[in-house]
Amino acid sequence: MNKELEHSFVEQLQKHQNIVHKVCRLYTNNADAHNDLFQEITIQLWRAFPKFRGDAKFSTWMYRVGLNTAITLYRKSKRRINTQEFDAVEFKIKAEEYDDTEEQQLKLLYQAVHQLNDIEKALVFLYLEDKDYREISATLGITEVNARVKMNRVKKKLKTILNP
Amino acid sequence: MDELELLKKDWNKDTAAYKNYADSDLYPMLHKKSFSIVKTLFYISLAELGFWILINILPYFLSSNYKESISKSYENPIYMSISILSFLVIFVFVYLLFKSQKSISSTDNAKKLMESILNTRKVIKYYVLYNLIMIFITIPLSLYFEFNQNIAFHNQVEAFNSKQMLLLFGFVVLLIGVLLVVFWLFYKLLYGILLKRLNRNYSELKKLEV
Repeated sequence: MNKELEHSFVEQLQKHQNIVHKVCRLYTNNADAHNDLFQEITIQLWRAFPKFRGDAKFSTWMYRVGLNTAITLYRKSKRRINTQEFDAVEFKIKAEEYDDTEEQQLKLLYQAVHQLNDIEKALVFLYLEDKDYREISATLGITEVNARVKMNRVKKKLKTILNP
Repeated sequence: MDELELLKKDWNKDTAAYKNYADSDLYPMLHKKSFSIVKTLFYISLAELGFWILINILPYFLSSNYKESISKSYENPIYMSISILSFLVIFVFVYLLFKSQKSISSTDNAKKLMESILNTRKVIKYYVLYNLIMIFITIPLSLYFEFNQNIAFHNQVEAFNSKQMLLLFGFVVLLIGVLLVVFWLFYKLLYGILLKRLNRNYSELKKLEV
C-alpha cells in the first residue's frame, strides 16, 4: 500500500483517535489491555481503509470498525477481563457505599457499565456518543425498535446494578 | 437524573485524559501483528485442509504395499470414482472457504460480521464432517476390497467361525466409532473455546429478534 494512503490514514486517525480510546475504555479494565485493543483496532482500521470511500464520515466509519473489533474480531484474551465472568462480588456495589457526591456516583456508574456484556456496552457506547437509534441499529445490525427495547433494558439493568 | 445522562455529561468532558498518540507513534502500529479471530480461523482451516489431504496421500508414499494395492484398486470403477470425487470435494471446499473468508468485512454491521465468521466456521465444520463420513465409508470398503483381492486374507476370514467374525466386525465398528468420537470431541473443544465469545454475542443479538 502506498505511502500517500498511509499518510492520509494516519492523519485522520490521529485527529479522531479519541473514538478508539473511548471504545478501549469501555471494553478493557487496565492500561495494558487498553493499549492492546487500541493496537488491534488500528490494524483493523488500516486494513479496511482502502475500502473507505469517504461517502460516510471517517469518524462514523471508525465507530463501526472499532466496535466490531472490540466485540467480535479481537481475540487476545490473556490480559483481558472477560465481562461475562467478571467477578461480580469484587465490584458489588453495596448500598452503604453509595455516596451522593457526583464523583462517587460516576465511579460507580463506570464500574456498573463495565459489568454489562459486550452488546450492552456497545449500546451504551453509541448512546454516550450521542448516536441516534437509526445509527445504533445500523451499526449493530438490529432493528430500530429492538435497539430501543434493548436500550431500555440496559438502563434498567444499570439501575439494578447500582441499587441492588 | 437518569444515570446514563450523568455519564454522558462526564464521558465527553473527560477526553483530555486519554493518551494522545502522535503520527510517529501511529505509523509503526499499522504494521504490527494482528490478534484477530478471522486470522486464527483461517490458519486453522488451512491446517485442516492440509491435515486431511496428508492423511489421504501419505500412506501412498510411505508404503509400497499400499501403493500397489491402491494402484490396483483404481482399476475398480467404484474406487476410482470415489477418488475423483474426493479431489473434487477438496476443490469445492477450498473455493467455499476462500469465498466465505473474502466475505468477512470489518465494515459490515456487527451482526452481519458475526454471521460471516460463523459461516466460515460452518464450511470448515462440513469439511471435517465430510472427512469423518468418508472414514466411515472407506474402512469397511477397503476391508471388502482386501477380502476380494488378498487371497491369504480371504482364506483367513473364510476360516473364521461366527464368533470370530463377530469379533472382527465388532473391532472395526469400535475402531471407527472411537475415531469419530475423538475427532468430534476435538473439534467441539477447539471451536467451543475459540468461538465462545462470538457465539455468546451473536445469540445476544439474535435474542432481540424474538
